Amino acid sequence: MIEVNEALTRKVMGLAKLKLSDGEVTTFTAQLQGILNYIDQLSRVDVQGVGSMTHPFDEPTPFREDVVCPSPVDTEGRPKTLLSAPDVLDGGYKVPSIL
Amino acid sequence: MEEIIGKNIKMNTVREIHDAFDSGQLSPVALTQGYLEVAQKSHHNAFLTFCEKRALAQAKVAERLIAHEGQVPREKFPLLGIPLGIKDVLTIDGVRTTCASKMLENYVPPYTATVVARLEAAGAVILGKTNMDEFAMGGSNENSAFGPVLHPTHSDRVPGGSSGGSATAVRAGLCVAALGSDTGGSVRLPASFCGIVGMKPTYGRLSRYGLIAFASSLDQVGPMTQTVEDAARLFEVMAGHDPLDSTSSLRSKENFVRTCLTVPDWSRIKIGVPNEYFVSGLAPNVEKSVRTALQWFESQGAKLVPISLPHTSYAVAVYYMVAVSEASSNLARYDGVRYGARPSLASETGDLATFYERVRANFGSEVKRRIILGTFALSSGYYDAYYRRACQVRRLIQQDFDEAFKTVDFIASPVSPTTAFRLGEKSQDPLKMYLNDIFTIPVNLAGLPALSVPCGEDSEKLPIGLHLIAPAFQEGRLLCLAHAFERRSA
Repeated sequence: MIEVNEALTRKVMGLAKLKLSDGEVTTFTAQLQGILNYIDQLSRVDVQGVGSMTHPFDEPTPFREDVVCPSPVDTEGRPKTLLSAPDVLDGGYKVPSIL
Repeated sequence: MEEIIGKNIKMNTVREIHDAFDSGQLSPVALTQGYLEVAQKSHHNAFLTFCEKRALAQAKVAERLIAHEGQVPREKFPLLGIPLGIKDVLTIDGVRTTCASKMLENYVPPYTATVVARLEAAGAVILGKTNMDEFAMGGSNENSAFGPVLHPTHSDRVPGGSSGGSATAVRAGLCVAALGSDTGGSVRLPASFCGIVGMKPTYGRLSRYGLIAFASSLDQVGPMTQTVEDAARLFEVMAGHDPLDSTSSLRSKENFVRTCLTVPDWSRIKIGVPNEYFVSGLAPNVEKSVRTALQWFESQGAKLVPISLPHTSYAVAVYYMVAVSEASSNLARYDGVRYGARPSLASETGDLATFYERVRANFGSEVKRRIILGTFALSSGYYDAYYRRACQVRRLIQQDFDEAFKTVDFIASPVSPTTAFRLGEKSQDPLKMYLNDIFTIPVNLAGLPALSVPCGEDSEKLPIGLHLIAPAFQEGRLLCLAHAFERRSA
């Protein structure tokens, strides 16, 4: 059975690009330990020769024609995708400089 | 509602409303105005956004179509003028869509979910977007960033989640019907807690285009209605292949309403009763109501067959590995670049990792907990022991159902071990909350259709739901069985 400690929680937190407060790390560590203890029951199931089921959909994937479609625009001709952008510049997404 | 529009008209269902339209007792605009007024004054916190202008415009179109009776084929508009609520996990072009998260507080999508577009094309009026657990993660609707939804009849209880806003809105008469989404029971559980009908269709039956993803191999949209017949009406309009969703089935549409309304041939119906669903932890009054329902089926001539679904006890563990793993991947898209919240503090850093962390601080606790758990399950060194093993046990759960459906036509069980619990009762213990979904989760893992139909009340008058499960793509027969049960005392 895995032992969840705060170091493991912080490592996963980094992988997930999440920042937790010290209090959240403590709380989550205890909760994750409880949840993983519960999930550990799966180790008792005999899965020898059992295939993974990642999806319940067993029909063949129907393919569409590869056709270029114009992006939707608003009444003034602006791309609708930019309407909810946190910041825009010259018709594109503006992001903070990271270099 | 009758008082608001000043008419004594019974109009809980699509059929009753259409009768009132046809007799000239009611107009779509008056109906829409009445519902908007009631919903906006409601204290339930069931709606997050109202589409007042859009709704009234749609109602006016419906009014014009009715005025041109005879010139317009009414059968093309089976939901003409019917006011609906839409769970805020489904996009509508130009309407704020939040997923009840601070992350999407001001997000206005540029496209409409296919299921919503089909409802609108059938003449429906969209009143607004209903509250929910953040990103559909929760079973009580206490995880909304915009406050919990109240139970429609018991203010100290939860309405169930994650589609709690839709369930409360339908039961409290804030809309005629609504859409929810069901990843592990999020349509059926709140339907059961609030005393309405909620159906999760077969995976692939309804398009997921425009359904903001939580766990892509489990998510399905479902109707939440006052009656089984109305569930069939909404479902029939939404069903059918959508080229915009690669997991949308190519099966042709069926006349689900007609099938729903037929009388079952009871002598040919076998209903499986799984031993594993009637165990300790099941509230006595829930068990009593469900057993009484089973006796009714038997009294009609159906045969009850004891069955076993031996891997049921592992379903919650499997689900919370599969769902959180898919969620951690799906929610990685919220990076504050193209849409979603970007706090000013995030823009002050020159470090990309810090930028992301500050943006993603907008997630609520339950969402963060599931992202952390999912990231752990997919991380190097743990993938085989957790995610892969869960997917193997998922296959065994599906095989349990395959085996059972060789001998029975349907499976019946409770929707939930208890009736609606108190606000705050389980919110500090995530595992306790997760176990509430123990009877609904296996259905999502196997991709099957199932629904909740009211079957009684406990001693405090809290509703109890009967859970009926069918083989894949047998929604017509499922609706027929549920409709017959619903009409048992009529």
